[in-house]
Amino acid sequence: MADAREARAGPGTAADRGRRLRAGVSSHVRAFVRTPINVVLLVALPVVMVEGYGMAMEAFPSLPFLDAGRMVEMGRVNGAVYTVAFFAGVLGLFQVISALQADERLRICGYSRAELFASRLVTVVLGTLVITLVSLAVLGWSTPVEAPVAAFGGLALAGLIYGLIGMLVGAVLPRALEGSLVIVFVVDADDFLSSGMLDLDAAILNAFPLHFPHQLFRDAVFDGTVAAGDAFGGLAYLLIVLVVVSVLYIRLTGDGGVAA
Amino acid sequence: MSRSGSGRLVTAFEMGLREYARTPVLLALLFFLPAYFVGVFVYVLPASEVPVTVPGTGRTLVATIEVYGVLLVPMMGALIGGLAGLFVMLTAQEADGRLVVAGYRPVQLVLARYALIAIAGLVAIGVSLAVLAIEFVPERIGWIVAASLLVGLIYGMLGTLSGLVLSRLAGVYTMLMLPMIDVFFFQNPMVEEVHWIAPYLPAHGVVEVATDAGFTATVTVDPLLGSLGYFALVALLATAAFYRSLRT
Repeated sequence: MADAREARAGPGTAADRGRRLRAGVSSHVRAFVRTPINVVLLVALPVVMVEGYGMAMEAFPSLPFLDAGRMVEMGRVNGAVYTVAFFAGVLGLFQVISALQADERLRICGYSRAELFASRLVTVVLGTLVITLVSLAVLGWSTPVEAPVAAFGGLALAGLIYGLIGMLVGAVLPRALEGSLVIVFVVDADDFLSSGMLDLDAAILNAFPLHFPHQLFRDAVFDGTVAAGDAFGGLAYLLIVLVVVSVLYIRLTGDGGVAA
Repeated sequence: MSRSGSGRLVTAFEMGLREYARTPVLLALLFFLPAYFVGVFVYVLPASEVPVTVPGTGRTLVATIEVYGVLLVPMMGALIGGLAGLFVMLTAQEADGRLVVAGYRPVQLVLARYALIAIAGLVAIGVSLAVLAIEFVPERIGWIVAASLLVGLIYGMLGTLSGLVLSRLAGVYTMLMLPMIDVFFFQNPMVEEVHWIAPYLPAHGVVEVATDAGFTATVTVDPLLGSLGYFALVALLATAAFYRSLRT
């Protein structure tokens, strides 16, 4: 049935595919910005979280494994990573949940599974880049960032990994409450344990999604350096998540998704 | 409330419980996610000691896992309560509108929904305490449960309010970020001098009592009065928002 539909609509030329992708992305973006509160959140969340984390860390005691002079900055840095990861995760989740039925109709109109996935993915990537830019600007306003480009890369990496994880959760668990619960618990535990605010050496932490992005971002902000091992580890992590999500998403959303 | 009134309340509550039971994935998550969260902390936290402020005792050194143990239980209550508040009310909104037309009083529906939020919070708290018991058993478990349930209800009301007043997406953002920054950072007993904003946040009195109950046998429950007042205020606002949503 699905193949018959694809055959009827035809794959089209590269120009057709490009046009369909642009149309898909622009409609997803419009759907997001149509709710004014979403746009407000794009600006308000980074301000509240970056400054909120900084304020919260102000009163912490000096701990042997933390530079006492950097507590507030450390809080702000963590607030930025948390904001980007969480925003992207929830965006990915709700992009997929809201997409399942609409995408099935678009398939009838000739969109391929890969095109549908690509249009959702591009929307999540755009949202991630915007929130990354805003968060970095909020952080830079109060904390000197030694290597802004590298910091942007580390922060965007955190968002992209969680954007994909959000899409994965949405494809496997396409219900708002259940999906949100998973994202909430995974991001909260990951962010806190990867933040460098605890003296941890468990090997399992290397497998956490925010392990490499946190490290990269901290190094870029405080020291202006980029550790090749962390950059490679983070990009490899992103690539693995991308492959897993692509395969699962395209399989699960093929004929109406798991919710159908 | 009359006999038929309480009967309707019980029926609405039972229907809500059946809905939980009909979604095994949700039930499984209610058990698994707190277990995962607390379990990861229990597994990775170091055996070091950190200074904390215990009400009535002052500054004292305790194991890191014990500090986060007393924070994790209210945190689980707040996270699950907040999300349950957000989604239970939003998903039930349409059906509740019809039930009101059929003769239910809004207060019966509100109480039934709040009881469901409390059940979800209790499950999360119970699972968290069970997993935490691998490493640490608080001195007064009953008070930890009471404090965590109260913060779960406060966040449940805040979740309801944010869902009804803002939007579902905005509600999810608020319910993820606020409990984390409130419980883990502003109310953290490792803090030497409480930040000026901390007493105005939902978990303030609750974490104070949870810390007391975690490390001492005699618990001063006065801070809970402030939390009860907080709960009454947000419950009032959430109920007013719910009533308003039924009219529109």
